[in-house]
Amino acid sequence: MKKEPKPLVKMLAYAFLVLAVLFSIYPVWFAFLASVRPGQRLYTLNLTGMFLPTEFTLENFRVLLFEKDFLLWARNSLFVASLTTIACVTLATSGAFAFSRFRFKGREAGLILFLAVQAFPGVLSLVPIALLLYRLGLFGSHWGLILAYSTGSLVFTTWNLKGYFDTIPIDLEEAAMIDGCGPVQSFIRIALPLARPALAVTALFGFMGGWNEYVMASVLLVGQADKYTLPIALAQLANDIQVPWGLYAAGALLVSIPVLVLFLWLQKYLESGLTLGGVKG
Amino acid sequence: MGVTYRGLRKYLVVLFFIAPTLLGVLVLSVFPILFNVYISFTNRNTYHYQQFQLTAENRAAYLEEHPHGAFVWDVICPVFPAVCCSPDTMGVYCIQRPFYQNYVRLFQDLFTVASLLSLGRLLLAILPLIGVAIASGQVHKRMVSPPATGWWWLVAAAASIGLWYLLKGQAALDQLFDTGSFFVVMFRTILYVVACIPFFFLFGLILALVLNNDWLRGKGIFRVLIIVPWAVPSYISALIWQFFFRSEHGTINQLLGAIGIQGPSWLQQPALAFFAVVLVNIWMSYPFFMVIILGALQSIPQEQYEAAEVDGANWWQKLTRITLPLLRPAVMPAIVLSSITTFQMFNTVWLITGGGPIRGAGMPGATEFVMIHAYKQVFQSRNDGLIGAFAVIVFIILFAATLYSMRLTRITKGAYE
Repeated sequence: MKKEPKPLVKMLAYAFLVLAVLFSIYPVWFAFLASVRPGQRLYTLNLTGMFLPTEFTLENFRVLLFEKDFLLWARNSLFVASLTTIACVTLATSGAFAFSRFRFKGREAGLILFLAVQAFPGVLSLVPIALLLYRLGLFGSHWGLILAYSTGSLVFTTWNLKGYFDTIPIDLEEAAMIDGCGPVQSFIRIALPLARPALAVTALFGFMGGWNEYVMASVLLVGQADKYTLPIALAQLANDIQVPWGLYAAGALLVSIPVLVLFLWLQKYLESGLTLGGVKG
Repeated sequence: MGVTYRGLRKYLVVLFFIAPTLLGVLVLSVFPILFNVYISFTNRNTYHYQQFQLTAENRAAYLEEHPHGAFVWDVICPVFPAVCCSPDTMGVYCIQRPFYQNYVRLFQDLFTVASLLSLGRLLLAILPLIGVAIASGQVHKRMVSPPATGWWWLVAAAASIGLWYLLKGQAALDQLFDTGSFFVVMFRTILYVVACIPFFFLFGLILALVLNNDWLRGKGIFRVLIIVPWAVPSYISALIWQFFFRSEHGTINQLLGAIGIQGPSWLQQPALAFFAVVLVNIWMSYPFFMVIILGALQSIPQEQYEAAEVDGANWWQKLTRITLPLLRPAVMPAIVLSSITTFQMFNTVWLITGGGPIRGAGMPGATEFVMIHAYKQVFQSRNDGLIGAFAVIVFIILFAATLYSMRLTRITKGAYE
């Protein structure tokens, strides 16, 4: 076991973490304050009001949850994001495993192709994607959106997982192969459990890709209010005259909660060196 | 593992793993790009937007004009109808004559002769410095006991300063900035990427290292609170930050005012506006890097550290000799790909500064990065052909940069190669 560091080092570490947390959450806390303030204002001239809720109402949350179709939008988003996550993790893992573990002709070319795809301004792919989904009969449906999202995140997630597989010593899988495992078996039973931290990252990334995306959803689901995902639905709350800040802020907070819950659940995979257990076990 | 499988069998296994991934990328990522390239050669815009119809009537007209064109009509046109019509046709989009006309127009707009000359003068002025950099690099690589190259730099610097005055470097610089040259936009965008990425990595790394300690309490809570910026929809957080930076009633200036400091007008001063968009981008991205690095740290075998400790390594040596090299393959993709997305950043910057502040009409603003410039200058023309051509140019520039960075960082290689 590692020895405990000096108290001073510990204190510095905690201080740094507290600062980072403040930096991270103050803007969001600010949004929270706006969401519980009566009226649709983002700002307050009251100095305490910038740190603590001086007036308190849950009116914005009530309107959002019960007068708007928030729950429907949330269900749509959840459906799209979870299927995106599953598709993204499955596709990325198998591709990344092949790129990392096999040496074949066209391997480097394939990796470079993946990077090249990313170098193209994504917004400009929208029209061809819409056209393609239209031809496939998936335009305006959640399935089309899922398809677009999961392939959209695929490039990064494949690269990221490939990078992670590269850091796992190949010896374990070779040992398994010598003991008679096939490639699929050694992939599922050895490589996947070892790659759990990266799978957690991939899952989170895939989920975010489906959950918080705005531009593509607004094009591919145009005019179908019952299919809206949360980001477009929230944006639609604003009219031309004013931004309903209270509702916006409340919506932003509600949208963030599932992501944070997912991360809470996934973060146990970001603990403890896995290869350690693997090698010694 | 290549040891076990050879020939056809190996390829079948590889195909099994890679085919779904590759298919997805080919259909929904590569096809849109190719389609865009195709559109970039056409005159598609608000007046020419329909697809050319391959009717018998049109076929007859086409064959009259091209007596040997039957093959083209029957084989190429079903896939690319725009090849077979003339750009004068009403309402229909067709390949331009010459087909690269959009590119010529875009190049003339983006790279004017005057700005190319100015850029050439500037490059010529720093040529001695570049020469010495390359030469000394080669000398250090090839020679066993390289000579001291310090005085080379002195000579080169003197030569550069001389050339700067001779070629009127200042005037060239002014010309570039004053005419709203695309080079300036490119330069600012690169500066933006260079200002952002190291902080993403550094903040993410430090936090991940601190959070990876066994003795730390409340890890779970710290981690969740730190990734909050990633979870909030980015257009809402961009609007919140925009509000923070306002000069009147903006949160930052209100807080500064409370302790008696008159805050600056953040978004009206070039340097401060640039700082603001860098800060917001860091705020949005460092949680992501923290998570990636936290994941990557798990793959480093604890034995490596134990062995290093036995050999008496201090924490700095452990960081630079074990942690960083072993993180490289897992973190490099994130760095390269977020460099690309930062280069192409539009939404966040647009919502905060709108590309401004500008010094005068016709000059690009201090935060007018490539995609914002494109939006202002090209996209609003609703000329799809021109937009496509712009996308292709951005693509070529970024892809070349990516390939070059791959050579530097060897990211296609594994950690143990």
